[in-house]
Amino acid sequence: MELFFIFIGAVLVNNFVLVRFLGLCPFMGVSKQTETALGMGAATTFVMVVTAAITWLLQWFVLEPFNLPFLQTPIFILVIAAMVQLVEMFLRKTSPNLYRALGIFLPLITTNCAVLGFSLIAVQSAYSFIQSLIFGLGAGVGFTLALVLMAGIREELKFADVPKPLAGTGIAFIIAGLLSLAFSGFAGLV
Amino acid sequence: MGIVKEFVKGLWNDNPTFRLQIGLCPTLAVTSSALNGVGMGAATTFVLMCSSILISALRNVIPSKVRIPCFIVVIATFSTVVDLVMNALLPDLHRVLGIFIPLIVVNCILMGRAEAFASKRPVFDAAIDGLGMGIGFTWALTLIGTVRELLGAGSLFGYKLVSDTAATFGIFSVAPGAFITVGFLLAAMNMISTRLRKTSKEA
Amino acid sequence: MNESVRMIVVLAVIAMLSGGLLAGVYEWTSGIIAENELREMQSSVFQVLPGTVRIELLDTAPSTLVEDDPTTMREVEQTTTQIFVGYDDRDDVTGFAFVGEGAGYGGAIRILVGVDDNSGAILGLAVLSHSETPGLGSKIEEASFRNQFVGKTLDDPIAVGKDINALTGATVSSRAVTEAVRRGFADAAAAYERSR
Repeated sequence: MELFFIFIGAVLVNNFVLVRFLGLCPFMGVSKQTETALGMGAATTFVMVVTAAITWLLQWFVLEPFNLPFLQTPIFILVIAAMVQLVEMFLRKTSPNLYRALGIFLPLITTNCAVLGFSLIAVQSAYSFIQSLIFGLGAGVGFTLALVLMAGIREELKFADVPKPLAGTGIAFIIAGLLSLAFSGFAGLV
Repeated sequence: MGIVKEFVKGLWNDNPTFRLQIGLCPTLAVTSSALNGVGMGAATTFVLMCSSILISALRNVIPSKVRIPCFIVVIATFSTVVDLVMNALLPDLHRVLGIFIPLIVVNCILMGRAEAFASKRPVFDAAIDGLGMGIGFTWALTLIGTVRELLGAGSLFGYKLVSDTAATFGIFSVAPGAFITVGFLLAAMNMISTRLRKTSKEA
Repeated sequence: MNESVRMIVVLAVIAMLSGGLLAGVYEWTSGIIAENELREMQSSVFQVLPGTVRIELLDTAPSTLVEDDPTTMREVEQTTTQIFVGYDDRDDVTGFAFVGEGAGYGGAIRILVGVDDNSGAILGLAVLSHSETPGLGSKIEEASFRNQFVGKTLDDPIAVGKDINALTGATVSSRAVTEAVRRGFADAAAAYERSR
């Protein structure tokens, strides 16, 4: 039951993009087509779950026992960068199709602050191993949901008559604001 | 002249927030008040300048194959330094900015400048570029913070401008207001730029 | 020099320098950070225990009580991590203050509760940290909510719906604070009695 709450909390109530403001760069950059949005979301979710496992082990078996809290940020970001590389190599060998679909997004994930942000939040919340994994999955699914919703709207937007100064990113931000407003309706769900 | 250009481009033409639209997460997350915007901007500027200088100084030493991990380590180190020093000297600000201080490390501005500028240019140019970009980021954050604080809390830099009982637009203090503020500020920037271009053409 | 050897050497040197720099900065700042936290805690205790000018940490083994709470439908982790004894300017005991923790809506809520030495009644409550929704759950910081706890003793129910009114639209936050008070209270009072 508690795991379910963590998941729903990460996907809807405290959606990483629309409520916590994490992962905004890819959110604005890769949300022009539904298909690419879905690919980016899937790749990110995958990296998040893998990172969740490794950062959890590092935090509680290395950083904490050896009293090295100040190395947290450098180590986590290096783990994420290494994970992204590994996932990239692994996919290229095992599933060329998936690699072709996700390949171009993978390098971008390293600088997606949603990944590092969620690792730090998971540690702060002192989640257990399983909780961290579920939290990572929820964060990834929440990110994907926001990305796909945004892409769907932006695809339709091509046919709309947007005032010239607002065209492009301006209107995208306002749409994101409205989406965020909608998501704040989930407050109180959990 | 060249130096002035490198400095000024960060303020307007290549402004990271309004022009390049990078480094968006802290831009929206911590700008619920003007002071937070200044604090976040200053912290980012410090990390940006330090890492630009160091990366530029090491540009002939770092092999190109491992340059990305090297940049990451340098940037992460300076982010952590800021995190610790701010926690010690400015605990109140540190509490508000919270997780977004360690997240400076994944701010695309830093990686972007390291890769595109600092790793190719001499130390002094890199420092000026970092400073310009940092100040450009800071003023953008401060502007967004000012607008949101005025509308959301009816105050400016913490000073209440309206009576305590007056209704304010609380939505500007929370997430949706942040997106909407940035959206309209972007539109304003575009209008000003178009106007400027027109006048310079006429002149 | 071999290319790959050079790569490894450069990376290792940079990583070592970074670790060294961070260890130095950490060494320098950790003392100040701890001092700040202590000072902050001190001023919070002064606030919930009027008349206190000096505090002492009560040495207790951290008592952990993990209970399943059916009212909030989730496991509420309840710990009384720290108990402080307050002294006034004549070095008489004013009472004790304890830190309580409850699971709020956005994360853990940490509160500090001051209890009078004579009457055993709550003198004040301060919210140390929370991450509740601004405008809704964040109202737990307001005096009108916090003052509901003043005067309560161990004999009171201290429960939302009984003697504590929940904040509109922030039932979870209100409940988290109330639970933190009730559970921490019994625990801390027992530890305080034992120490006398």
